[in-house]
Amino acid sequence: MASISIPLPLRERAKTGLLGWLATVDHKKIGIMYMVMAFSFFLIAGLLGLVIRLQLAAPNMQIVDAHTYNQLFTMHGTVMIFLFTIPMLVGGFGNYLLPLMIGARDVAFPRLNAFSFWITLGAGLVMFGGFLLGARSDASWTAYVPYSNKTYSPTIGMDIWLLGLILLGIGSTLGAVNFLVTLYTMRAPGMTAWRIPMFGWAMATTAVMILLATPVLTAALIMLVADRNFNTQFFSANQAQLWQHMFWFYSHPAVYIMILPAMGIVSEIIPVFARKPLFGLRAVVISTALIGLLGFTTWVHHMFVSGVDPVLERFFMFTTMVIAVPTGVKVFNWLATLWGGSLNLKTPLLMCIGFLATFVVGGLSGVMMASIPIDQYVHNSYWVVAHFHYVLFGGSVFGIFAGLYYWVPKITGRMFDDKLGKLHFLLMLIGFNVTFFPMHHLGLLGMPRRIATYAAGRGWETGNLIATIGAFLLAFSVLIFILNVLKLRNGQPAGDDPWEGNTLEWSTASPPPEYNFREIPVVESERPLFDARWRTSHLP
Amino acid sequence: MARTASLSEHPATRRDATGQKNKGGLIGVMLFIASESMFFLGLFLAWFYLRAMSTGGWPPPGVTPPPALPAYLNTAVALLSSAAMVCAERAIARDAQRSLLIWISIAGALGIVFMAIQSVEFTVLANLAQGSAYGSAFTFLLVFHTLRVFAGVVLMGVVLIRALLGQVSRRRRLLVQATAAYWYFITGVWLVIFAVLYLS
Ligand code: HEM
Ligand SMILES: [Cu+2]
Repeated sequence: MASISIPLPLRERAKTGLLGWLATVDHKKIGIMYMVMAFSFFLIAGLLGLVIRLQLAAPNMQIVDAHTYNQLFTMHGTVMIFLFTIPMLVGGFGNYLLPLMIGARDVAFPRLNAFSFWITLGAGLVMFGGFLLGARSDASWTAYVPYSNKTYSPTIGMDIWLLGLILLGIGSTLGAVNFLVTLYTMRAPGMTAWRIPMFGWAMATTAVMILLATPVLTAALIMLVADRNFNTQFFSANQAQLWQHMFWFYSHPAVYIMILPAMGIVSEIIPVFARKPLFGLRAVVISTALIGLLGFTTWVHHMFVSGVDPVLERFFMFTTMVIAVPTGVKVFNWLATLWGGSLNLKTPLLMCIGFLATFVVGGLSGVMMASIPIDQYVHNSYWVVAHFHYVLFGGSVFGIFAGLYYWVPKITGRMFDDKLGKLHFLLMLIGFNVTFFPMHHLGLLGMPRRIATYAAGRGWETGNLIATIGAFLLAFSVLIFILNVLKLRNGQPAGDDPWEGNTLEWSTASPPPEYNFREIPVVESERPLFDARWRTSHLP
Repeated sequence: MARTASLSEHPATRRDATGQKNKGGLIGVMLFIASESMFFLGLFLAWFYLRAMSTGGWPPPGVTPPPALPAYLNTAVALLSSAAMVCAERAIARDAQRSLLIWISIAGALGIVFMAIQSVEFTVLANLAQGSAYGSAFTFLLVFHTLRVFAGVVLMGVVLIRALLGQVSRRRRLLVQATAAYWYFITGVWLVIFAVLYLS
């Protein structure tokens, strides 16, 4: 590959051992630390999910009392979203891959990057430490007022929860600044806008959303802290809805913050394993940007039963339906990429197919709820729980596993056991659907979400039992993944480019050296490594 | 054979030679300011929402708004300070170190005057914040703006020290540019606060 030589930076020799991690400003090490942190939180929150499912397996169960149950689903939701999915995708994959993919040696502000990580970890420890020590919030991950005000959440648990989220917001906002500057100023020569890998575009859009949405949540969080502790009057009496507006102004974009990077991952993997270029790259880029933009215009769809002005509701119903269009565009682009490709059915591709199948189900149940009359029936029921697990687990988590199977060989230099990977995929796909598909039905039968138990004879028994069995299958499949990680040590050496990838990270060693590229590559298309392979096989 | 790029084409080298890193730094500052704007947008949305929801009038009966005189004074102070900042920026662009020192000190001093005047408002706001939504939203906008003023003054202090140590020059003025950009932003937010809270 064409390249240019640039003297290596004068950063002092990389430290080794523990200090090498604690004091690192290397985007790769920071990325790995994000991944390890996020995955640990995934396991913890998954365990909480299992306890929730055990409690609901049959009517009138008393494994935990109602109060504890509320604390469990609050922590489950909060950790899954704020300490697992977002840090995993943005902090983990974003940090590790962005500089490598654009041919840079690090992010624009490496020290700021390390700061973002440590503040994120600190926030996680504050929130989770509080939980362990008994300072627990039980107002759900949405912390609606008045549940979350001083009257109904009198303990310090709520304040700790708020503090944790404020810290997380600072970390992710600074991270977003960093990514955007990196993408804008540090691309390898020749990497014009249309040659930025799709994952880069996804991260750019995500970063813009984080940058613009998070501060509004931060403002709301501080207001709630003040209401609770300094007697201000932001969310009192008839103004409680203000919280919902400000919360969802952030949290609807947040669902795209959690799905766009996963879509970016899928957009990188499918072309490699279908051995075709991504179908309609520009359409995918433009639809990503459109999703980013429209993502800011739909938040009131969470408030269709809150008593918002009906005209306003109709507007948001419309925008919510519109945003399904660019999402659909992407789905068709992925399908068209797969169509007629010579498929290399390894675990990363299987995970992407799992992503497509389940994400589409979640997307469809979402569009249904965009319709106000439907939403008014299913709001706050298990239908909603089914819907968002199909997009968050079926979408983001399948995307995350696809990315792990694809890039961990680059990160560690070792290949996963593909057979074990396929077993993991199969059991996860089955376990996932067995867990969450019945919840659609339970919701339509009228089972509300966030109830600690239920009486017999409402027809909810079978669905709940099936869901609980599925949850344990799901958990078992994750154990297989962990086994696969443990086996990595003895895995086949990956070599620089085990998958015949397209993007620049596959041109360096696995794992990449500290400076990533000895020679900075020159990019001539959106698939620089494909070019390089073609050149060696077609030119004398 | 593939084209080879010349060294000067690559950002990683360009930035050391001709200040590319400055460009990255400034973009970073602009993005940070964008996120800061969204924070204030959140507070303003709260203000307008609470105003729309208030039944008894805005301010509600029985609540006296804080005195307006300090705000008028501070508008003048803020504008003057920003003007001094413009001069500081121009000075360093000409490599006039001494004049940078003078202008940045003036801008910083005016920032401190701003905070001093604002403290008069705070004596009133301390009670106002607890009584009503009006008072809460009013206080929040002022408190969080004043925190930014404080941050700006600290930044100017850093510029001052760096300049005294001879670490600021026409080629190394990212810090000055960043401080200035942030200071204009803070002034801009003040003008909006002034218009919304005191004039309407
Ligand atoms: C081990 C797999 C999982 C199981 C068994 C599970 C189970 C559940 C159940 C049963 C609820 C409803 C609790 C209730 O409403 O009473 C719930 C809520 C929730 N889950 Fe999961 N879940 C799993 C994974 C995930 C993942 C991967 C995410 C996100 C990435 C997630 C995000 C959420 C959120 C946001 C809530 C809402 C919490 C609330 O109502 O405040 N879950 N989960
Ligand atoms: Cu939404």
